[in-house]
Amino acid sequence: MSGCAAGEAPAVTAPDPEEYREQARAWMEANLERRADTEGDARSPTLGGSTDKTPEGIAPERRLQRRLHDAGYAGITWPAAYGGQGLGPEHQRAFDEAARHFVLPDFGIVGGTTFGVCAPTMLAHASPAFLERHIPRILAGEELFAQFFSDPEAGSDLAGVRTQAVRDGDRWILRGSKIWSSGAYYADYGMCLARTDWDVPKHRGLTWFAVPTTAKGVTVRRIRQINGNAEFCQEFFDDVELTDDDVIGPVNGGWTVTQTMLFFERGGGGAAGRMTTRGSIAPDLTELAASAGRLDDPLVRDLIARAHVDDLVRDAFQARLGGLMAANPALAASLASYGKLATGTFDPIRANLAMQVGGPHAVVWDRSPSPGADAATGLLNSRILSIAGGSNEMQRNTIGERVLGLPREPAFDTRKPFRDVLRDAQNWSGQVG
Amino acid sequence: MTVGLLPALTDEQAMLLDATVRFIEAEFPMEAVRERADGGEGPDAGYLRAAARLGWLGMLADEAHGGGSASGNGLLDAAVIAAERGARLQPGPFAGHSVVVHALSRAGSPGQLEVLAGLVEGRCWATWVADGTCVGSAGQHVELGDAGDGLMLNGTVDGVPDAADCEWLLVAASGRDGLVQVLVPAGAPGVSVRRLEGVDLTRRWCAVELHGVRLPAEAVVGAPGLPTEQLVRCQVEIGCVLSAAEAVGAMDANFRLALDHARSRIAFGRPIGSFQAVKHVLADSSLFLEMSKGIVAAAAGALGRGVPDGPALAHAAKSFVGERGIELTHTCFQVFGGIGYTWEHDQHLFMRRLAAEAAAFGPPAWHRERLLAVAGLS
Repeated sequence: MSGCAAGEAPAVTAPDPEEYREQARAWMEANLERRADTEGDARSPTLGGSTDKTPEGIAPERRLQRRLHDAGYAGITWPAAYGGQGLGPEHQRAFDEAARHFVLPDFGIVGGTTFGVCAPTMLAHASPAFLERHIPRILAGEELFAQFFSDPEAGSDLAGVRTQAVRDGDRWILRGSKIWSSGAYYADYGMCLARTDWDVPKHRGLTWFAVPTTAKGVTVRRIRQINGNAEFCQEFFDDVELTDDDVIGPVNGGWTVTQTMLFFERGGGGAAGRMTTRGSIAPDLTELAASAGRLDDPLVRDLIARAHVDDLVRDAFQARLGGLMAANPALAASLASYGKLATGTFDPIRANLAMQVGGPHAVVWDRSPSPGADAATGLLNSRILSIAGGSNEMQRNTIGERVLGLPREPAFDTRKPFRDVLRDAQNWSGQVG
Repeated sequence: MTVGLLPALTDEQAMLLDATVRFIEAEFPMEAVRERADGGEGPDAGYLRAAARLGWLGMLADEAHGGGSASGNGLLDAAVIAAERGARLQPGPFAGHSVVVHALSRAGSPGQLEVLAGLVEGRCWATWVADGTCVGSAGQHVELGDAGDGLMLNGTVDGVPDAADCEWLLVAASGRDGLVQVLVPAGAPGVSVRRLEGVDLTRRWCAVELHGVRLPAEAVVGAPGLPTEQLVRCQVEIGCVLSAAEAVGAMDANFRLALDHARSRIAFGRPIGSFQAVKHVLADSSLFLEMSKGIVAAAAGALGRGVPDGPALAHAAKSFVGERGIELTHTCFQVFGGIGYTWEHDQHLFMRRLAAEAAAFGPPAWHRERLLAVAGLS
């Protein structure tokens, strides 16, 4: 899926990627701050372990994004008609290479949802009028989008959302609640999935909307997480007024849009990246073992070795998965589930190994951060990717049915009106037909 | 159906793979494997000659010694062959033979290179018989001492697959000047190869007993001590990769059988594979299988190219595949249910093979300790 630049003729004067990189580098030298060296930070990534962003804290990031945009380095592969540069992925790569040593705008998790998920999905499905209104503002750092995706009562069964938008003259009235919206408290908009028809099967009555977080009737509540952060939010919609201008893609055609969005959320078909630990042996665990004085303990050494084996295998597997996707483009989206399941399976295993290596040092500590405290935080964060963005169980279904060709589970909700689905489920008998 | 150890093949690799699969299915298909497990005969000498013509046996020899690969990376090509062999539970000490070919190609004297030529041409099998210290099994000692104007070999090594079919044994022993290897004719006085019973019925497992085996000084391969230690480490790594590749092939075939069963077996009005309880364990096994293929291919690729992380990847592969292979065969067994406990079903042949392969060239825990050593955690 090449939603970004789809339909766009290549720029007539597309620069040579080499020259483009040098030109970008020169601009960065003159205009951007150099990054402090972050090499050596080879710890396994712990999502959710970052510091919370604040609305005030991202103001300078917005200004930085504006500078990038003004200089012509925002939306490199996005259509020029909407303020992008209309260039190819090779130019994006050239820019990324040049940018490695410079400070770019950091919008936290919302940066990823805005630029990596929401905007590409909009470009693939939204009307030209919508795109003209929103994409230039996104590129200028004026509109950040969170995802209003899961309902409190619909997570894995995403097509079963009950948040609804009701037609009222030429307006839409939004009612319900969304949850697990990362960073919504400092985003400007939420891209929101709502039910717009209850009398058709669940996949056919869904529509996407752009909902301003400051609109009347929108309440954003931050959710305190078990690691102490509060990046996730829940939103409540009390008769929020929207118009047709806010609709993204076709009314009641939201499921197709959702497929595109999930595709981008899973890394555009590329498997979730992983920091390579090759060459260094599980640095977090060796540091932990050393701080606990247990580096000579054969039992601890075996735990460290197990972690290192798994790290090496995960890296090798990512390479294989990339090869498999390239060899089977039609199957790539389903194969991506292997990458997700690998992460969701091995993150918890690794966190458990760290807890064993740390022993009492990963249970109590004098100071934090410390290797022991980090191991404990790692444990608390270890199930993030076995649940978020499609649980392990969902990945197993995809692998089982779409890759291995196993027969599907019987479905009780795909043919009848969604209104009846909820009623029948409450009178569950276990009998079909 | 092929194992798919590599996501993409060169044209030459694809030809090798295709010829390999057709050869095995014509010469020693699963029916023959099953008969052999019941005490039947193994393949005749024609099998080995034909395998050599396909290029199986020269992958780890220099071109100057009659070797050659399909892709330029002989170990990677050998791993592709090993995986297809494993999928079809082929007999014969392919990994051991390949290790000997590599050692002789690297360190063989002119006389030993003549033996090597025969091994590459498939005139006979050879295998590697290693003192336990080389592969993490303490207690299996082989010593090489002086005897008059020659040498004398003593010791016993258990669990050498298909040693009885071999004409040559490369023996790693502890000697006066440290680790030393000697090339021993299997028929030399004092060498006895005793059949053992064992879990794996797809190969003939043997104890190699060496009682006062007198050898000329020319039997020594390479220089004892440090050079031999280095060569032996390399042999272990190659053995790891090829053994793990055979195991991955067996995992793949075992998994496919279970998958077919889950698709076709009906219970409670549904194919059992539609139940998440079954579907999900198969999806997990499929992940471990794909990860196993990934690490074996990475290890073969890196070790064969001689890049620095090759040894670490080889030990990681042997450890991971050893443990996940057993897990996978348990899952398959569970999916089969009672039928898997019958002699006629192939499930036990795969479980037997995977259990034996997990221990070959050293058990998983030993490879993890080796991994820490080669990766520099001391």
